[in-house]
Amino acid sequence: MSTSQSTTSSTVRSRSAPAARRRRNRGARHGGWGFAFFAPFLVVFVVGVAAPLGYAAYLSLFQDRLIGGTVFVGLENYRRALGDELFRAGLWRVLLFLLVQVPVMLGLALLAALAVDSGRLRRPGLFRIGVFVPYAVPAVVASLMWGYLYGDRFGLAGQIGDFFGTRLPDLLGPDWMLASIGNVVTWQYTGYNMLILYAALRTVPTELYEAAALDGAGEFRKAWSIKLPAVRPALVLATVFSIIGTFQLFNEPNVMQSLAPNVVSTSYTPNMYAYNLAFNGQQFNYSAAVAVVLGGVTAVIAYAVQLRSMRKGQGA
Amino acid sequence: MSPAPSRRRRLAALVPAAALLLGLTACGSDGSASPAVTDPAAALDTPTTLTFWTWAPNIDKTVALFEQKYPKIKVEVVNAGQSATEYTKMQTAIKAGSGGPDVAQVEYFALPEFALSKRLVDLKQYGAAGLESKFTPSAWSQVALNGGVWAVPQDTGPMAMFYNKKVFDELGLQPPTTWAEFEEAAVKIKASDPNRFITSIDPGDAGGLDSFVWQAGGRPFQQKDATNVAVDLQDPGSKKVADLWSSLLQRKLVDAAPGWTNEWWQSMDSGRYAMWLIGAWAPGNIASTIPNTAKDWRVAPMPQWSKGDKVSAENGGSAVAVPTSSKHQAAAAAFAIWLNSDPEAVRSLNENGLFPATTGLLTDPGFLDEPLEALGGQQANRIFADSSATVGTGWQYLPYQVYANSVFKDTVGQSANSGDLNAGLSAWQKRIADYGNQQGFKVTTP
Repeated sequence: MSTSQSTTSSTVRSRSAPAARRRRNRGARHGGWGFAFFAPFLVVFVVGVAAPLGYAAYLSLFQDRLIGGTVFVGLENYRRALGDELFRAGLWRVLLFLLVQVPVMLGLALLAALAVDSGRLRRPGLFRIGVFVPYAVPAVVASLMWGYLYGDRFGLAGQIGDFFGTRLPDLLGPDWMLASIGNVVTWQYTGYNMLILYAALRTVPTELYEAAALDGAGEFRKAWSIKLPAVRPALVLATVFSIIGTFQLFNEPNVMQSLAPNVVSTSYTPNMYAYNLAFNGQQFNYSAAVAVVLGGVTAVIAYAVQLRSMRKGQGA
Repeated sequence: MSPAPSRRRRLAALVPAAALLLGLTACGSDGSASPAVTDPAAALDTPTTLTFWTWAPNIDKTVALFEQKYPKIKVEVVNAGQSATEYTKMQTAIKAGSGGPDVAQVEYFALPEFALSKRLVDLKQYGAAGLESKFTPSAWSQVALNGGVWAVPQDTGPMAMFYNKKVFDELGLQPPTTWAEFEEAAVKIKASDPNRFITSIDPGDAGGLDSFVWQAGGRPFQQKDATNVAVDLQDPGSKKVADLWSSLLQRKLVDAAPGWTNEWWQSMDSGRYAMWLIGAWAPGNIASTIPNTAKDWRVAPMPQWSKGDKVSAENGGSAVAVPTSSKHQAAAAAFAIWLNSDPEAVRSLNENGLFPATTGLLTDPGFLDEPLEALGGQQANRIFADSSATVGTGWQYLPYQVYANSVFKDTVGQSANSGDLNAGLSAWQKRIADYGNQQGFKVTTP
């Protein structure tokens, strides 16, 4: 949440900068109009983003007890959240997920985008749709579907095991659960990321390829020296989106929980923890504090990645 | 009626935590609207629309009977989600003072939580105290708490042993009468086929384990007064149950698998599980979910800890309560009382799949002798009624059982992997005590 806020406000800032310059140049005549055009966005932003965030931050300063009612506790909820082992375990889990799943997914997306862009596929439209379609399947449905496939008795995994006369590892067991969830997320979002990267590839002027071809560059050389640098900003964008998505991991593990309650706990991911605190424990205030801390961690990591890649990009 | 699927089917509630923070803008509590009419008889004669939150299937048929009898009252039946989903919505609505139901289905395990925080109307003021003799003692003891009557019992789930007769006959086994015999049967069933289990244990279902502990004489949750709570999940009853099931799990004689999933029902259907120890509300679920093999299933009394004993426990079951935020409390109370105690209504509830909570129906020969089609025509109601009459007394739930049950899978559920349920119970006890102390209770543990 916080990340979307910070990116939005930075766009706002960069957009209003030329407007300010214009005002200085041509007087303040258009200032009122500018604000009028800007107002609808501002209203939606305040009502839809700023106010709920502020309210969550406000809630996080209280404690509502079954005995004793609501009391102001200052930063007590934050102190508790920072020392909360369940919260920390969830954070480490999504961090591990982030380090493994996001590179795999973006690598696959990049390969798919390069394949579509190479013009060598027989039915590029079909391929593109095929990779993208899982994104159109709601996460809950996708998780349910994969959950059945993973079933080691009556699911596909069980049937494959039977066919080869062996037992596959229990994909819903404690050792494999995170990987199984990673597979669902990868299946779902590879197509989406492929489209972002493919769109970036389409903006490369064809003259560059012609020049490279004249210089004797092959397809791989072109991909390495022209296409990869060209998709770099899009790749950073996709990475930031994926980081945010990973920290907010919720639907997939929550659905898997009903299939493997002995593996997926109520604090499996930080978002599930916040949800269960609020909805099963009536601890809305503590849940708000956890959500704020989670938002902060997400924003810091996403911003750090963005900064670092941008700096690298400038250096190259 | 099955309260159980609710605990698993969380899909209806897939809202990220953030959404809650956006939606929860109304926090004032002006739910103390004084009802216009306080006399139930007069209230039933005043044109009123009541909102009734329930997930009991087909209950609209019984509600229709009420509307015929009291045409001035209109009852709007709303399914606001099952179990914890409904309770969360209700807590929020009561806090907000509007948008909540006038009448609501609440499972027994969740009732103390609502009653203690004074979010339900004490139905004594509407004559509910006089109903005691109509209900089974175990049902009544679960709604009469702290000197008040907080709901009217709707259905109960006295425990029984459902077993697949075909599997038992095939192996020449008799249904076990004691837990020792149960263990012997478990060994024989496993020996006949390594893929077959006597039954499964659900690592996500606190209610199932609670019922076993209840039957074994454990009373792990004790509310001493408004703020003092004692928790002992290693009392002799709890320990007996945990020892038995740990041993069964370690020897892979029972399957640790969540119930109600597709895989689980397939296991029931295929004879992979030979038994299901559950409340008397189950025949309807068996008949509707595995219609092809339902006729193979029979009912026997619960296995006993000592030979010749007759002790049972409850599993699931609901009552009907009136939240304090209702603007029509008198009419709502009158409706809740009629719906669950009028003979005509009670029979209708039973016909629509709810196992009765009233002694009137539980001793009615017509009810007792009715052959249950789902169970190959067995007169199973006799066994259920016997079970109901022998439910162990003195069981209590925590004043925050909804939360406690939600972290069962984090603690006891995880311990099912290693097969050391005692360790899981200790971890659960710690989470329960921590939460209680944070909430302002004084929780004592041994």
